[in-house]
Amino acid sequence: MRDERSYRVALVADRYVNPEPGQIDGLAVLAAADWGVMQLPDDAYPAEVAGPLLAEVAEQVEEFSRRGYGFILVGERDGLAEALAHVGVAVPDRIVPASAAELREFLTVQPAPRATAAPE
Amino acid sequence: MGVAFVAHCLLNQNSKVLDGAHCAGVYSPVVDVLRARGWRIEQMPCPELAFAGLNRFWAVREQYDTAAFRQHCQRLATAVAGAIAARVQQGEEVVLVGVEGSPSMGVTITSSDPQRGGRPAWPDGSPELTSGEGIFVEELHAELGRRGITVRVAGETHAIPGHDEAVQRAGLESVLEHRDA
Repeated sequence: MRDERSYRVALVADRYVNPEPGQIDGLAVLAAADWGVMQLPDDAYPAEVAGPLLAEVAEQVEEFSRRGYGFILVGERDGLAEALAHVGVAVPDRIVPASAAELREFLTVQPAPRATAAPE
Repeated sequence: MGVAFVAHCLLNQNSKVLDGAHCAGVYSPVVDVLRARGWRIEQMPCPELAFAGLNRFWAVREQYDTAAFRQHCQRLATAVAGAIAARVQQGEEVVLVGVEGSPSMGVTITSSDPQRGGRPAWPDGSPELTSGEGIFVEELHAELGRRGITVRVAGETHAIPGHDEAVQRAGLESVLEHRDA
């Protein structure tokens, strides 16, 4: 079977995965652009619920980062920077899009992931 | 509606074992059904990704069934159960959407081969599929049980021989609607 992965992963604030009517459907934009999604915990969760979830997100991001996958941040999430710092990963390029078009444009200018580069 | 806690790879096929990604990123057939029916989506962590890495081998349940992986799954299950409990306390309905055939995320079908090990050379195919839950799903059910919570489950069936998207869709819809498939 041919592996179809894109080597591109977006950390995405919950409101772009579960948008209210009229809000930006980030999940649809990312899916159409062939990006994978790592959803960040809903802002409504208390710290004792969100903290452990963010720690797991960070641990997985560390693995993607180490293997040269491209990743970006769509939106924001309190506690994410600290969780990433804990595993030695910087906050990636970020956008808080004002429109779906702006998000699409941001995706098109992202560099090719290291993991897709031809071996030397 | 309610909240569907979905396997990580349903939103991010990049987390799959190499040669296992069915699409570039988001597996839309499941997402589309959930959204069309008004369910919130919450993504669970991938138990295998952080434990065995992106360059892991394909593996069956027995290969992952170690004390260390159980401990890892228990940690993840505690984090996910915290979120599920918060939803249940708010009176929201919760379903779990796993991946059939997965050694960790299967909900009714997992993989089994007690002899598998050593240098990987087994041919493609699915003789390892067997009834049962993957290890993470088992640990999550145990953690939810300790909290007095039960959830309905559905499984994405791409890795199962004879996979039929219409059948998968009907199965997921029946779980969302809480009727017998």
